[in-house]
Amino acid sequence: MPDLDRRKFLKMAACLSAAFGVGNLPAPVLAALKKIDGAVPTLVYLQGQSCTGCSISLLQAETPNAVTMITEYSKLSFHADMSATSGKQALALIEKYLSGNAGEYFLAVEGSIPYDMPEACVMGHKPFAEHLLDASKTMVGAVAIGTCATHGGIPAAEGNLTGAVSLKEFYKRKGKSPLIIDIPGCSVHPDWVWKTIVHLVQVGLPELVNGQPKLFFDRKVHELCPLYHDFQQEIFAKKLGEKGCLFKLGCIGPDTNADCSTRWWNGRQSWCIGAKAPCIGCASPIFAAKKDFPFYRIAKKGKE
Amino acid sequence: MKVDIGPITRIEGHLSIQTTVEDNIITEARSVGEMFRGFEVILRGRDPLDAQQITQRICGVCPYAHAIASSYAQENAYNLSVPANGRIMHNLIQGANHLYDYLLHFYQLSALDFVDVTAILKYTGSDSDLVKLRDWVKFEVASGKPFPATPFLPRLSGKYIEDTDLNIGALKHYIESLEIQQKANKASAIFGGKFPHATAIFPGGCTQDPSIDHISSYRSLIREVKEFIHQKYIPDILAVAQGFPEYWEIGKSKGGFMSFGLLPLGPELDSKRLFAPGVLLNGALEKVDFEAIKEDVKYSKYSSPSGLKVREGTLTPAPHKSSAYTWVKAPRYKGQVIEVGPAARIMVDYTQGHNQKIKELVDKFAGVAGIGAENLNSVLGRHLCRAISAVVIADFLLEETERIDTKAPTMADYELPESGEGFGATEASRGALLHYINIKNYKIDRYECVVPTTWNCSPKDDRDQPGALESALIGTRVETPDEQIEANRIVHSFDPCLGCAVH
Ligand code: SF4
Ligand code: SF4
Repeated sequence: MPDLDRRKFLKMAACLSAAFGVGNLPAPVLAALKKIDGAVPTLVYLQGQSCTGCSISLLQAETPNAVTMITEYSKLSFHADMSATSGKQALALIEKYLSGNAGEYFLAVEGSIPYDMPEACVMGHKPFAEHLLDASKTMVGAVAIGTCATHGGIPAAEGNLTGAVSLKEFYKRKGKSPLIIDIPGCSVHPDWVWKTIVHLVQVGLPELVNGQPKLFFDRKVHELCPLYHDFQQEIFAKKLGEKGCLFKLGCIGPDTNADCSTRWWNGRQSWCIGAKAPCIGCASPIFAAKKDFPFYRIAKKGKE
Repeated sequence: MKVDIGPITRIEGHLSIQTTVEDNIITEARSVGEMFRGFEVILRGRDPLDAQQITQRICGVCPYAHAIASSYAQENAYNLSVPANGRIMHNLIQGANHLYDYLLHFYQLSALDFVDVTAILKYTGSDSDLVKLRDWVKFEVASGKPFPATPFLPRLSGKYIEDTDLNIGALKHYIESLEIQQKANKASAIFGGKFPHATAIFPGGCTQDPSIDHISSYRSLIREVKEFIHQKYIPDILAVAQGFPEYWEIGKSKGGFMSFGLLPLGPELDSKRLFAPGVLLNGALEKVDFEAIKEDVKYSKYSSPSGLKVREGTLTPAPHKSSAYTWVKAPRYKGQVIEVGPAARIMVDYTQGHNQKIKELVDKFAGVAGIGAENLNSVLGRHLCRAISAVVIADFLLEETERIDTKAPTMADYELPESGEGFGATEASRGALLHYINIKNYKIDRYECVVPTTWNCSPKDDRDQPGALESALIGTRVETPDEQIEANRIVHSFDPCLGCAVH
């Protein structure tokens, strides 16, 4: 296909995906969307209350790999685990973007935000929350990476002391509604993030369902699980390590939107249920949220 | 003058270092952990089996170490006897995670302190990775944008390796190591389910099948990792050591050393381990006693009492506490400052003459580098000890796969007890890791984690003794007080993980 046609085609695809997926977005968001059409995102990647697991997962990408993503697609401009610079120089770099003086950029956020205790996450003597408020005025949009950023995750689980919230919830409470693409998972699958970015670069905003790319989060783990046949035949594992559908041990696959059952993990080599481990619903909004909703159903002595 | 060199990058998490510099010498250093989540409180009241999953989310770099420490603690609390396969799989998962972590640490987190990235502009060869990297750096630098070729540039000022070929070779290995660390992680994910955050690790073993299919994939991946360790990782460390020999002296911590021992050689928790446990206090070796650990909080942002033992631990955050400068607590062993991590692990084992291979490797490399075993307490010493650990672990993992019985179970059978308490201790890649669980009425009543970076990046304690990293920084000469690449190299040699340290 000649270059010109390809560009036209991409534009059309972007329009189509916008028409199907994001028709009812607020006007400023739509305006922002126009801007990113065909552009290369410059990613400023910041971490809140995170364990860095999502960043580490992103380095496990194979097709394309992380180096390709950094040099060709994402234009990663800052990442605390990768950047050669540090200290004042690093802060100046971040501030230059966040103040709008370094051109257009996408914010990538990993980790939750301690809403009730801003001092519980600080970067350069300034609460992370304030950096986010600065960014809200200048960024094209944000990618919330991992369940902490999309739903609060474990830092926001019942009983937490910091009042941790997701990126969307943080902005909502501050009366802002920037464009946010949610990519849940504890941790995220590298494909979910990088291929969303490739999509942004090549085509524009991908179609979203509940704010998440439909490409990856359309169906339940359960629907395409290789053990679905066992589930229907009522062949259930009753003990850990046994063969059979893991439902009776607590598998949350029936309640979790993610394509793990077909994509698998770590270079398509393995995945949770492939190792006979019940899905703990790490990509689900309810992940770990309640104390009395344990991951597993295992016999207890003296109890039924 | 006072200089804050934070945020420190190329580590896990939020760390600042506040220094006082006089005549280019660091006279005071404060290690400042800037992020808190409160895992121990979140765990309270939950089902005990949630713990090996939730504690993995303390850290996405070494999640498996937390899963293992938690599994050990629960096995201890449930009085479980673990099948041989189960323990072997724990070892296979955790050992491969160590290999990955050492490679990530050396290439992605530390190498850019020594390697001159701009050497890539002089590359004239045809290696496609390097051509891609060169063209990208060229394009970015020429674009006139304020920040050329991040994340590699800009960087701190200081002396870097001068030899162009050496620099370009190191950059090539930086890229290759990414592929190799993926292989190590694939290997652990075969038995762990996925990486990061394994779902298949449980107290009592691992749910995965012990099939030849899995074992042979695992072996072939570890073989490739092992080859890289011998052919590239070790020569690269020696090359850095040759260019910067002064770092065998720089960055000495002032205190004792502790290791909890790594990789049990039998199914029982008290089996002998590949790396022996022990504490080195004033040069003398002692057995580890968990009751001798107390956590001080005079300078930490908690209002809960100071000096509590592990099993008594409580946590009340006090973000505005006036004397406090960090979220990290200050654990002390018999009141002493302790360094944990690869150097401590190797020194503790070496002093006992426990693992013959470790002794031989230390002696061999010390000979090559022209140093003594006491120089392991230094920036380069920590790097070297990771490499020695990697060699020993890779060999062990290949042997360990031969001990799997493909017909035997991999999981213990269990019913969870109404109450119980247990300690679980292991070595994360960054050092001694301890989990403690107390179960009442089928729920977690108390959970405590004492974590490697909590020891290393601790603030001053109640007696005002600076922590291990703080003590290693004090007295260091810095050429550019504003940026302090020397201090950055010292901090990186500890491989801090602040998510772990505070949790
Ligand atoms: S293992 Fe889980 S996801 Fe798979 S079929 Fe059973 S319940 Fe569904
Ligand atoms: S299978 Fe479930 S627990 Fe495993 S990664 Fe997918 S969503 Fe998370």
